[in-house]
Amino acid sequence: MKKRSALVAVVMLLVLAFSTAVWADNDTLVIGSGAEAVGLDPRLETDVPSFERINVIMEPLVKFATNMELVPALATEWDVSEDTMTLWFKLREGVKWHDGTPFTAEDVKYTYEWVLNPDNGAPNMGLYAAISEIEVVNDYEIIFRLGEPNAFLMNNIARMPITPKHDGDRSDFRQKPQGTGPYKFVSWTRDDRLVLVENEEYWGGRPNIPNLVFRAIPENATRLLAFEAGEIDIYQGGVVPQEITRLEQDPKYVVQRTPGTGYNYLGFNTKVGALSDVRVRQALSYVINREGIVKNVLNGIGTPGIGPVSMSLPWFNPDLPRYEYSPEKAKELLAEAGYKPGDINIRLFTNENPDRIRIAEILQYEAQQVGINVEVFVEEWGAYLARIQETDDFDIFILGWSGQLDPDRAMIRQFHTNGSNNYGKYSNERVDYLLDLGRTVPQESQESIDIYREAQYIVVSEVPYGFINYTEEVGLLHPYIGNWEVHPYGAAAWQDAHLMTKSK
Amino acid sequence: MLRYIIRRLVQMIPLLIGVSIIVFLLGHLAPGDPVRLLLGEEATEEDVARLNAIYGFDQPLPVQYLRWFTRAITGDLGVSIRQTMPVRALIFERLGATLELAIFSVVIAVLLGIPVGVFAATRRGSLWDYVSMIVSLIGVSMPGFWLGLVLLSYVALHVPWLPMFGRDASVFQGLWVLLTQFRADVFLTGLRHILLPATALGVSMMAIIARLTRSSLLEVLGKDYIRTAQAKGLKYSMVVLKHGLRNALLPVITIVGIQFGAMLGGAVVTETVFAWPGVGRLVVNAISQRDFPLVQGGVLMMAVVFTFVNLLVDISYALVNPRIRYE
Repeated sequence: MKKRSALVAVVMLLVLAFSTAVWADNDTLVIGSGAEAVGLDPRLETDVPSFERINVIMEPLVKFATNMELVPALATEWDVSEDTMTLWFKLREGVKWHDGTPFTAEDVKYTYEWVLNPDNGAPNMGLYAAISEIEVVNDYEIIFRLGEPNAFLMNNIARMPITPKHDGDRSDFRQKPQGTGPYKFVSWTRDDRLVLVENEEYWGGRPNIPNLVFRAIPENATRLLAFEAGEIDIYQGGVVPQEITRLEQDPKYVVQRTPGTGYNYLGFNTKVGALSDVRVRQALSYVINREGIVKNVLNGIGTPGIGPVSMSLPWFNPDLPRYEYSPEKAKELLAEAGYKPGDINIRLFTNENPDRIRIAEILQYEAQQVGINVEVFVEEWGAYLARIQETDDFDIFILGWSGQLDPDRAMIRQFHTNGSNNYGKYSNERVDYLLDLGRTVPQESQESIDIYREAQYIVVSEVPYGFINYTEEVGLLHPYIGNWEVHPYGAAAWQDAHLMTKSK
Repeated sequence: MLRYIIRRLVQMIPLLIGVSIIVFLLGHLAPGDPVRLLLGEEATEEDVARLNAIYGFDQPLPVQYLRWFTRAITGDLGVSIRQTMPVRALIFERLGATLELAIFSVVIAVLLGIPVGVFAATRRGSLWDYVSMIVSLIGVSMPGFWLGLVLLSYVALHVPWLPMFGRDASVFQGLWVLLTQFRADVFLTGLRHILLPATALGVSMMAIIARLTRSSLLEVLGKDYIRTAQAKGLKYSMVVLKHGLRNALLPVITIVGIQFGAMLGGAVVTETVFAWPGVGRLVVNAISQRDFPLVQGGVLMMAVVFTFVNLLVDISYALVNPRIRYE
């Protein structure tokens, strides 16, 4: 008898175990994320996982739609003066912070002045350094005056959600933020989950799904398995490339893809040895088998690289020189430069990223075929970054840029003689002139397009970078999730989460 | 005994100072700059210099160390560069998860490893002996990372009540709720979540224990007093368990203690695969970000746990074998 009741107890416990194993229901949207947010204060964060979450809680003045056009968020209208030196914003009226306080121009002024105050240690201060004065006209009108021209400042403004003046100095704001966005902060267990609840008074309409949970799952394979098991509903980025084909063919899942905002490249040290000769750099660009790398290393995620500016942007120059894979042309160029096979020895550095290591090995083989000896060194990320940024002790490195939302961002830091990220010490007077000029011309003008097309042409001809591929964003979701579109800019993926639906 | 424990605790102090100096030097001498890593690839030189001054990284190393040390002895481990949160809070909110995982793995390893070892030893040379030893050899050789993914793909994907990742609830807290409020839900949630990660982490230790128990027990079973016990007419199972196993356990306890340290290390991988919110992941991320205060605090905490476990192991020797006395 005693044994039997014990058995009954065990069975009941098991039933209980099953019954509590009911996963997320239609009231809760569970979003997977590849990494935990560092923090939730837009003024202090620099990483995509943080902004994925912040952009649901808070909003910038303007934001990027999925076609990468700027659309209204907290500002309903804006105007950039002809000389690009003055920005005027009309703010949305009737918007409330999550605690009920009305949102006004003072909050905007507070946010930007906080970022621009060097004592606060905002890492991205440099993006807004052009702003010299902020004038509040009235509660719903504000003017930014610039100290130096920066025609692309609007794109940076789209990356800075506004924080509340009355609450933004709270010491734990970074851990427990509030905003004006569609979802409100509830709780955050780091490395596990961020729990949010609908903002019933959201100006854009009450969210369709009342609860939203971000789960941090660092391992790509685990995240995919958790998705397949239905424990998470949707995620963007870090989809295991080898599984894409299978997922696309399976009717149980939906895969969405769109060109991203970044590119991967080989960076050449243009000041040392053989690589200071443009013909040698061109020869190396000719042996990058871009099609093969995209197909076999990246499993088709991405497109072969051409230049620094994304093909979907109006500034992209369709007439750029193309370095179609051609060992013959590479050999000709090397012979022309006076090098015999075996003359050139090059050290190629990469970090521990497996894709980059494979690209390095492919390049090593291809370069060998045209008589260039390449030695590959794999370094830990921190050490690698220190080598590239702080020393000249490299010949080639592999790196990528993300969030290249306009030609200024994609070029001035990389290719201007004084550019802060010009690690390969590339220098061309005409390029410097064009990149400086580009900042003073309104970004919608034909003049702007002409300037950047010319700058791209020179850069691609002189090969400070060997462009490998443009990135692609991949979103993975269950068919029961509606009203969502993969975003080219990963950080903005969930900004319209209030429109999403779930009917499981 | 008490005096012995106090002496051991006092001995921990120079040890921990040594650990902190080594961790400090390793961190600062390795190439890589926390501020550059914080700012990412788009760092400008002005921003780097500005933040270096804010965090005090422009000071000489000995000054930086002393500044950290004088605060650390008061229990203030500083503030994480990345997360601008007190290091102590960041560690304590995760320490429970890591310890629970490690303890559970040890329990699984011991509960399965010792019986398998005994089973094999008492059937020495039989087919079962070979099978269990070959299986345990495979267990030792399997990387935890791989085993974790295998468990997820082939077990969790097909068993609906086994979750893929995360922790959701503490098993020990659940046990408390079960005992005080007679509610099993928290306990079961915790149990469901910890089962696979603890198995992935514990399998190699289980295999080591099984092999060690077998060889140790075989050695003991060859002793004269075992023959005496058998000659007295005691049941063989009684002889093995009471006279044999108890004496064979000493080296097993030693290995459990050492392996517990390895588990804190191995937990990093398991924590990543199963998205387990533990200290290992925290510290490894901190290392790759050169978040020095967090690395120093985390390693120091691990060192404290490890030395405590070793102390416990030494004390438990006396419990298993009364001939061992600590003076």
